Amino acid sequence: MPLLEQIIQLEKEALERIGNSDSLDSLNAIQVEYLGRKGKVTAVLKQLKDVPPQKRQQIGAAANKLRVKLENLLKEKQAAFAVSGTKTVFDPTLPGTAPRVGAPHIINQVMGEICQIFYGMGFEIAHGPHIETDYFNFEALNFPRDHPARDMQDTFFVEGGRLLRTHTTPVQSRILASRKPPIKIITPGLCFRYETITTRSHVAFYQVDGFMVDEGVTMADLKGALVAFCREYFGKGLKYKFRPSYFPFTEPSAELDISCFLCDGRGCQLCKYSGWLEILGCGMIDPHVLEHAGIDSEKYTGYAFGMGVERPAMLKHKITDIRMFFNNDVRFLRQFL
Amino acid sequence: MKLPYSWLVELTGSKWPAEEMGERLTLCGIACEDIEPTARYFDKVVVGKVLDIKSIPGADKIRQATVDIGKEKLDLVCGAPNLKVGQKVPVAKLGAKLAGGIEIKKAHIRGIESSGMICSESELGISQEHTGILVLDDKCRVGVSLAKALDYDDYIMTFELTPNRGDSMSAIGVARDIAALSSSKIIRPKFKIKPSKEKAGKCIKVEIEDTTACPRYAARIIKDITIADSPWWLKKKLLMCGIRPINNVVDISNFVMLECGHPLHAFDLNRFGSNKVVVRRARKNEIFKTLDEKEHKLSPEVLLITNGKKAEAAAGVMGGLDSEVGEATTDILLEAAYFNPAVIRRSRKFLNMTSESQARFEKGVDPNGIEYAIDRAAYLLQELCGGSVLSGMVDCYPKKIRPCKVAFRPQRCNDLLGTNYKTSLMKKVFKDLGFKVAGTNSNDKKLSVIVPTFRPDVEREVDLIEEIARIRGYAEIPDVASNMGPLFTPVHPQDKFKEDMRRLMTGQGFDEIMGHGFDDSRLASLVNPNQPLLKISNPNSVELNVMRNSLISFALTVIKNNIAQRNLDLCLFEYGKVYFPPDAKGNWCEEYRLLVLATGQTRQSWRDSSRKYDYYDLAGVLENLSSRFKMPGFEFSNSSFKCFDNQLSFEIKSDGKVIGKIGKIDNAIAAKFDLKQAVYIAELPIPGLIELSDNKRLFEALPIYPASSRDLAIVVDETVKAGDIVFKVREAAGKLAEHVSIFDLYQGKQIAKGKKSLAISISYRSSESSLESNQVDERQRLVVGSLKKEFNAEIRDK
Repeated sequence: MPLLEQIIQLEKEALERIGNSDSLDSLNAIQVEYLGRKGKVTAVLKQLKDVPPQKRQQIGAAANKLRVKLENLLKEKQAAFAVSGTKTVFDPTLPGTAPRVGAPHIINQVMGEICQIFYGMGFEIAHGPHIETDYFNFEALNFPRDHPARDMQDTFFVEGGRLLRTHTTPVQSRILASRKPPIKIITPGLCFRYETITTRSHVAFYQVDGFMVDEGVTMADLKGALVAFCREYFGKGLKYKFRPSYFPFTEPSAELDISCFLCDGRGCQLCKYSGWLEILGCGMIDPHVLEHAGIDSEKYTGYAFGMGVERPAMLKHKITDIRMFFNNDVRFLRQFL
Repeated sequence: MKLPYSWLVELTGSKWPAEEMGERLTLCGIACEDIEPTARYFDKVVVGKVLDIKSIPGADKIRQATVDIGKEKLDLVCGAPNLKVGQKVPVAKLGAKLAGGIEIKKAHIRGIESSGMICSESELGISQEHTGILVLDDKCRVGVSLAKALDYDDYIMTFELTPNRGDSMSAIGVARDIAALSSSKIIRPKFKIKPSKEKAGKCIKVEIEDTTACPRYAARIIKDITIADSPWWLKKKLLMCGIRPINNVVDISNFVMLECGHPLHAFDLNRFGSNKVVVRRARKNEIFKTLDEKEHKLSPEVLLITNGKKAEAAAGVMGGLDSEVGEATTDILLEAAYFNPAVIRRSRKFLNMTSESQARFEKGVDPNGIEYAIDRAAYLLQELCGGSVLSGMVDCYPKKIRPCKVAFRPQRCNDLLGTNYKTSLMKKVFKDLGFKVAGTNSNDKKLSVIVPTFRPDVEREVDLIEEIARIRGYAEIPDVASNMGPLFTPVHPQDKFKEDMRRLMTGQGFDEIMGHGFDDSRLASLVNPNQPLLKISNPNSVELNVMRNSLISFALTVIKNNIAQRNLDLCLFEYGKVYFPPDAKGNWCEEYRLLVLATGQTRQSWRDSSRKYDYYDLAGVLENLSSRFKMPGFEFSNSSFKCFDNQLSFEIKSDGKVIGKIGKIDNAIAAKFDLKQAVYIAELPIPGLIELSDNKRLFEALPIYPASSRDLAIVVDETVKAGDIVFKVREAAGKLAEHVSIFDLYQGKQIAKGKKSLAISISYRSSESSLESNQVDERQRLVVGSLKKEFNAEIRDK
């Protein structure tokens, strides 16, 4: 048989036997039989000197390739048997060699958890543009021009007469203008404010806003929904308080504080020794906002709420610097696999 | 805003301790952020009298003082320039703990033993003033505790007010809510002016050109005053409110503003320049110097108080330098006006300056609170500055602003709040707030509530509902755990696609990064030249002056930051937005994109060695993407992108359409980000991916018949592309070729220069029958023939 065919034959035969071998001993035997000093592959290699020079290179390459292939395969199989622990000393403390898993960004994870809870309560998720008009971002939400309320949200403007949305509430303006009640929606997403970048503030941040409009929606419904959310997200036993606040697009407006989940309200560094954490702003949608959108504010009422994502993320995961989120240091990201 | 607790007690007679008062106010909408004891740093601080001052040889900044503190005399070292013999001063004894963490211990300074310290206001925590010591009133008795001497034992309450509640920006304003919460009345201070015979109207006239901007302007004249320091009780109140005492006139106008919320302005009448006040808009480019000595070039945005010829004050924002009250002032023109909040806001923005007055005017003061404010100030000028108040107030108020009448339905209130309040209770809340309930019809279905002008924020029924809710407390509103709304909650395809994509990427070992959307125009235009950038009109730094039009620049910044932390091996992706300026038709565009990158080395383990990430790592990820989303005809083809290395720059196509780009970051660009290692990046707009992805995901029947596989090794020119070979193999092998894959590539010693060896595995299968080996051989011969013909391939091993 020509050497080349012998090589092919040997390969077929050896692969089959390796494949069928069921112990480390049989693998070791195969190794000797093919690759040992008197092995079959070794024999072929020895015969090379008799091959005419013009063919020697080709056959030599093929034989060598086979040798390397068998060596690798045997090594792999032997290692596998070592792991399954037949005869050799097995070391279970060697680290596993799993494929790498990527980490979803912690902000997306937290936003996802928040959305999931609201989704479970029947809220649809909606989005809108980040580059907004003054109308949807302010005007339609009852921030009149030349009103001090505009100072609550320092704004970046872009060339061409639009602005970077300062909250995700403009999505509410857009949806109210285009749909009919009942509407029940949350709007997660990126927002921008003209702020100095520090450990506590950034020019960009994420927010989840939500609102509901229907006949007969009351402030008691608002309280019920938000308390349910907080208990689900922060812990069943928490205490809470709603206190009056001001947002142009809600009336009455409220701020929701929850008892600090770290110290249970006794006072700690997290809650700055107050026992309370400010979590979100909310209120009953101002009739002006509904009327702006062409919704009869006598017939329909609604509530709205909004919360930052970074803040609950920082509270819950004890992250101390808001800049970590956009810094994207993989040592940080991979802590939240 | 800061107010002393005692002042609120004075105005309401409240018995609530400070903590409780703070909590109750917070729960009614006046958030009390902090309650701080004033005399916190007064322990072991007593009144001392300076008996003697000696200079210390070799020291010119510090002196030795001997002070009498009653039972003993102390020697101490003092650096204050204003120290004089005979002064009564606050002396901190050993063991006193002062503001800023200063603890008084025995010290040896220049050989002198110092056993105490004479304190400045800042060391006592009274104010920021630290240039000299606090000099006490001579009436203070030596040896008594400072807290007693100053009558300073109090709490400072810090309030964080919402912008709608201009009415609460004063002691009386906050007191009103305390009164409403406790159903009591405010106790206003009583005072009486003794007017002189001279009439103010003879001295000054008022004329308003723009009555929309200034609906009311009132003035009083006070003559023969003496400018001096204010008495301690007045200084103390100002200090506790965080306002620096200046002189009696300025202090009085600040005090009245803090007390009732109405800002006042005092002009030096003799420097005012005329006997006529004219309120008008500024002329374009009119020049005006404010009392902080800044010169402003004005526009009609700014409302001015003029003397008929030139500006004397920017109305409601800041006074002018020319008529500022100073040491020599004897006669005063006292202004109390009501300005349109929006006008003040624009004026303030134009001038780019803020003040306590402006903050109140902008949020809306009470146009009918002017009489109280101006009379109160006139009275104090009479009492504290020895002034003579001219009789009468010059009042220009062409159209009186009346309290607003608001219809209110108790049922609507309960319907909105989800409460069950009785109408009588609601009426009581209104009365406690100082609102009048009038025109009630017999069955109380509709009330008419008259809201005083001090509450401009209450003008609609819903505002009244909020008043009920906040005075009763939100805790009284029940939590209803019912679920209303649409039956069905849809998931939008874009959201689903995003989640699927993120899962696919993390599943392949890529960490997700998130960007903030901003970019540095210099870097952005380097990475993505000739692409329009959306510029920020008011950037707050040059590094964030545009919105990004590609995810690449941010990704390179992230790599740079990571490498700086020695995180060298990175597999990252971002699913984020890019932004564009409006197109010629005025359409604005922003779109989601996917960015995937790999740089550095693969992970090394005890079994596997590592190697550098390269183009094929990324290409494989994208091939997985095309499989996952069933994107048709997925391929990479040469195309030159500025951000990529010329040799490694490709378009990604599906179904013949360009859906993205992939390549190795160009060295020059990498250098701008301080990157030395090769970075492979792919960027794909999401809309294109969604459009081409197939979400039907139909099942294909599994094969019944076995496959038969053939391997083939060929040598071709190194310029021949593997993709072309695979294409030709498929073409030649026909339908029976199920898989064609390249499983080995070799270039080197065994192969001629300029050539490469490729090993191809072809798996044949028919869905109709088992293939005979001759059928497969025949196909294989066609394949070989085609490869020889198309690529001049040399077949190895046979």
